[in-house]
Amino acid sequence: MSFQKRLSAKEFVVLAEMHTPKGVNITRLVNDARRIKGRIDGVVIPDMDNGIMRMSALAGGVLMQQQGVEAIIHVYCRDRNRMALQGDVLAAHVLGVQNLLVTHSEDMSQSDHREAQPVYDIDEVELIEAIDGLANGKDMGGFELDGTPSFTIGCTIAPYGDDASLEEELELARRKIEAGAGYVLTPPVFDLRTFRQFMDKAGGLGVPVIPTVFLIKSLAIAQYIANSEPGANISENLIRRIRKSSDRELEGIKIAGETVAGIRDLAQGVMLQTLGWEHKLPDILDAAGM
Amino acid sequence: MITAERKPLEEILAYIKPFKRILLLGCNECVTVCAAGGRKEVGVLASGLQMSRLKDGSSIDIREHTLERQCDPEYVEELVPMIDSADAVLSMACGCGVQQLAMRFRDKPVFPAVNTKFMGGSDRHGVWTERCQGCGDCLLGLTGGICPIAKCAKHLMNGPCGGSAGGVCEIGDDVDCAWHLIWERLKALGLTDQYMEIMPAKDWRPAGGGGPRKIIREDLAE
Repeated sequence: MSFQKRLSAKEFVVLAEMHTPKGVNITRLVNDARRIKGRIDGVVIPDMDNGIMRMSALAGGVLMQQQGVEAIIHVYCRDRNRMALQGDVLAAHVLGVQNLLVTHSEDMSQSDHREAQPVYDIDEVELIEAIDGLANGKDMGGFELDGTPSFTIGCTIAPYGDDASLEEELELARRKIEAGAGYVLTPPVFDLRTFRQFMDKAGGLGVPVIPTVFLIKSLAIAQYIANSEPGANISENLIRRIRKSSDRELEGIKIAGETVAGIRDLAQGVMLQTLGWEHKLPDILDAAGM
Repeated sequence: MITAERKPLEEILAYIKPFKRILLLGCNECVTVCAAGGRKEVGVLASGLQMSRLKDGSSIDIREHTLERQCDPEYVEELVPMIDSADAVLSMACGCGVQQLAMRFRDKPVFPAVNTKFMGGSDRHGVWTERCQGCGDCLLGLTGGICPIAKCAKHLMNGPCGGSAGGVCEIGDDVDCAWHLIWERLKALGLTDQYMEIMPAKDWRPAGGGGPRKIIREDLAE
């Protein structure tokens, strides 16, 4: 069953994030995808995530489709104007990529091409409207298309530090949903209790909510996130658990697996984010009992 | 100078529709020079607003005032005695002045009455053209004093595109090709060697690519 059909049928969806290479060596990407083929419902391909210039998400998405793995590709506004975005969106449909995730993007000043000129011709809400418009046969200029594409459009909620910024993010998510987004991807979940509280608010969005589960690869990463992102809710107990473990890598996998298992009753899916450790995805799925 | 043009009267009327007492502010600097928001334009706009309101059967109390510089907090302070008697402020300064007022008088609605256009100069009486985009890393020393960022429609850095013909840009007959102008100027100055130097991909951070810009002069900042 396709990702879109599972969403519509209110089935739990399992997604995994995989990055394109900074170069043209696709061996790792393809092998990682093959390893989890049949165990997940889709692979999410970021586009120059964290401001790192890489092979485009569209190419990564096509590679996934060629492996028989459904692709969900990021589209965002920092690097392309409305013409380039619409052109790539049409290309995605023709090349078999039906799922677009409209995301925010790291500021150019934080990228590995800091000298580049950011575009931001349109914003995320306008991009979702534009994709919805293409799916209804018209481009942003109001011109009719010769052949109409169709997409499942998703949007994201950015990391939030406190209740006020969560409210802002939820309000923005409502606008994105009104513009045409059919599901919402959330920031990483490290604490199921606070995620339940989040879902009490996000449940009212009226579309499937898919939280991210991030693989904690080391004690240092856990401490870094705890210190730099207060909204992530990495508890002292969690850090203690990793510190005391005789195999911290395995502990991180167990934590991710337990979080996925816990989310099954709270949300309509999960997205696994391993940032370079995609070869560990099967282990996380094992740990989650999937 | 920063150039501006007055907004359509209907748009300004829509902004101030709920208000009866308006403080209408001009600026004696750039917008005076480009005849968009100086003392004279303040008077003309005040008359237009009053006539429109009268036509609609409602009244409006407009107090006119023109500051030396609206972008300068020192001059904005002189509004303190008159701000309380206004329901809203209508500024005929550029966007810098409007924001200065909004920052200073946080509980007062401030509306722009002009559209800020560009940094430019006067070609002849009544005609202003864009000269500078404030890229933060001036190249005029390499391009014969003609800016390829402000005056080339494509902001090209290494010569003209294929669209110019006879020294005219492809976007319209009244637009000179910036690179044609640069070449002619470098030839006249005997500096064509400069043209042969390939300019590297521009660093757009000083142009604002890295976010809102700020200048701090340590020797002057308090």
